[in-house]
Amino acid sequence: MAARSSTPAKGSPLRDAVVIGGNRIPFARAGKAYADASNQDLLTAALEGLVARFGLQGEVLGEVVGGAVLKHSRDFNLVRECVLGSSLSPATPAYDMQQACATGLEAAIAITNKIKLGQADSGVAVGTDTISDAPIAVSDGLRRALLEASHAKTLQARLRAFAKLRPADLKPAAPGIDEPRTGLSMGEHQAVTTARWGITREAQDEIAYRSHTNLARTWDEGFFDDLVTPFRGLTRDDNLRPDTSLEKLGTLKPVFGKSLGPGEATMTAGNSTPLTDGASAVLLGTREWAAEHDLPVLARFVDAETAGVDFVHGRDGLLLAPAHAVPRLLARNGLTLADIDFFEIHEAFASTVLTTLAAWEDADYCRDELGLDGPLGTVDRDKINVNGSSLATGHPFAATGGRIIATAAKLVAQRAAETGKPARALISVCAAGGLGATALLESA
Amino acid sequence: MIVTPTTTDGAALDVDVLPVMPGLAALYAKGAASSGRLAAGRAIPGRGAEDSPALTLPTVAHEVDGLATAGLRSHLRDYQRLLHEPGSELLPSGYLHVLAFPLATSVMVRGDYPLPLIGTVHVANDASLLRPVALGDVLDVRAWAERLRPHRRGVQLDVVAEIRTGGELAWRGVSTYLSRGYALPEPRPDDATAPDAAAPVVEDRAPEGTWAPPLPTGRWVLPAGTGRAYGAISGDRNPIHLSAMAAKAFGFPRAIAHGMYTAARALAEVGPARGETYRWTVTFGKPVLLPGTVDVAITQEDAGFAYTAWHAGRRQRHFRGEVTPL
Repeated sequence: MAARSSTPAKGSPLRDAVVIGGNRIPFARAGKAYADASNQDLLTAALEGLVARFGLQGEVLGEVVGGAVLKHSRDFNLVRECVLGSSLSPATPAYDMQQACATGLEAAIAITNKIKLGQADSGVAVGTDTISDAPIAVSDGLRRALLEASHAKTLQARLRAFAKLRPADLKPAAPGIDEPRTGLSMGEHQAVTTARWGITREAQDEIAYRSHTNLARTWDEGFFDDLVTPFRGLTRDDNLRPDTSLEKLGTLKPVFGKSLGPGEATMTAGNSTPLTDGASAVLLGTREWAAEHDLPVLARFVDAETAGVDFVHGRDGLLLAPAHAVPRLLARNGLTLADIDFFEIHEAFASTVLTTLAAWEDADYCRDELGLDGPLGTVDRDKINVNGSSLATGHPFAATGGRIIATAAKLVAQRAAETGKPARALISVCAAGGLGATALLESA
Repeated sequence: MIVTPTTTDGAALDVDVLPVMPGLAALYAKGAASSGRLAAGRAIPGRGAEDSPALTLPTVAHEVDGLATAGLRSHLRDYQRLLHEPGSELLPSGYLHVLAFPLATSVMVRGDYPLPLIGTVHVANDASLLRPVALGDVLDVRAWAERLRPHRRGVQLDVVAEIRTGGELAWRGVSTYLSRGYALPEPRPDDATAPDAAAPVVEDRAPEGTWAPPLPTGRWVLPAGTGRAYGAISGDRNPIHLSAMAAKAFGFPRAIAHGMYTAARALAEVGPARGETYRWTVTFGKPVLLPGTVDVAITQEDAGFAYTAWHAGRRQRHFRGEVTPL
């Protein structure tokens, strides 16, 4: 069991956890290329691609961790099932976890913490989601009747359970992307945040345009050649619109915030991320484990910070939690925004990026909500999502973290190789429930 | 009960102790019959509202003592599910309103109650939960009508309900009703300064579409069966809440949601920050048509929470109120 670390780290209390590489399948628009594929199919494909890429067949890894956001109850051990369906040794343990859109990043945080503590030498952070094969459940009313009937001892009691059913109870319940406590969809929540921060339609379309052109360039440059495995005939993210333009984006009608009043509806299908199918995996380990397996090291997984915001009664925006996490992460590591070479800010919506940046530039917000002395600062736009992000790739919830970690790790490795100096990347992922996860990577 | 009941203004009330909590269905039947009688009395040609005999409220409180709540577990659970209340053993203020509502209604269908039940509009509610009431507590409930006063569209009055546990006042709810087309012969001079007269009715009378709603914090998608679901739990099966056809008979285009359902849902969505004791107020505006979508803003204010709900498309306010920890 070489993968299990039995000796605690000596000297420094914590060991380095490093990103060795990543693999994902191209992300597909809902109901298209992966319409017939399950979460297990998608994740097994991404994991198996990682195994093939790094020669991990028969290997016992410390742990495989991750999950899916839209998950059927039968998939309680989804990640373990994918491990058993892969070429990894069945002795590799696994567990499922979920933190909405931050699932993939949180999985990497969990594994790297074990690696740093000496509880594991290697691991894979995974995430998958399919909107095409989303679980459909029975209504609460039918579910309660079925459960009550199954517990009933007599025919009479069983009939009594069903007598409570109403016609509406027979309607199936599709998985919601509405916030349970507010009933507002994520888009409607972000529309409120967008209006409150006065983010313009033009600024949002500009973000979307850059996301598509940057991603198209990145594919053309071959950046993803060692990060993506084709699946079901798809070789590139099919949401990518290489030929989009600001003019085309400008013609789209608003889809969110339409009831907020004149001029407030600025979020379109072009500057909002569509629901997508896909899966990703990131290989993590110690430097020693990588060396023993003759594998490269892209970046050090330095530190991470999560946050939650009080959005239920509108004190903060639903997707602004990363704005809270990042200043704490920077301060703990003695860094400022100026020390960061690459900002990977997940584009749930173009305006999510823009409201996060606006928050960091706002003296009142930074003082009252973030507890800072003044504005956190301004981010150089040319350092943000330089190889495209979710607006162009699409966003299969739990798979996004893995996509971003692999891209960021490769970016800092390339930059360090070019300049001979350390390079840093900051990852920020917002999530449903007013959650956010952030992480700091540094060239190894 | 030991405490002698008096109205808010200090007038003594007789007490009529009922053996059990009356059933709402029978009360509605009685209310419909007396409404017909009252309407017939007013329909005599040549007699306008101004010529009506002076309206006086009965000076009697109805009381039911020893109301057990131990058997209400599944009823409470159904209420909690419908209103999005947590599955606690503590009875929310809206649930106590439901428990006291039949007794309050029984006052409004007394033979000497001067106004018809049918056509009476619930315009505001103000309930204070002064001590936590838990499932299993035994309740003494009392209700009476008071403070009959003029309103620009008729007359207003309050129906007060009180719930005591262990002899101590635990909950007090004041429901304000409007009866259109009635008038008091000589408005009392102090009415102009009464709280109701000072309420910002002008704002609520703003022409359609001119009121600018705040940014929403939530959205309720209310299915067509919302009125039937709350009717089944509260016992308030007023036909205007149950079906579009019945509602049309009373002049509404579709069935309308119970005002207390919407207010109790807002109370639930304030969440645990309301504490175990709180004051909960609501003023009703345009009714919520079913099925329907309601935008709400529930926001923290200095003393507690304020809430407003509106129809997003038509920019009409449905109701607003406050929840203040006590």
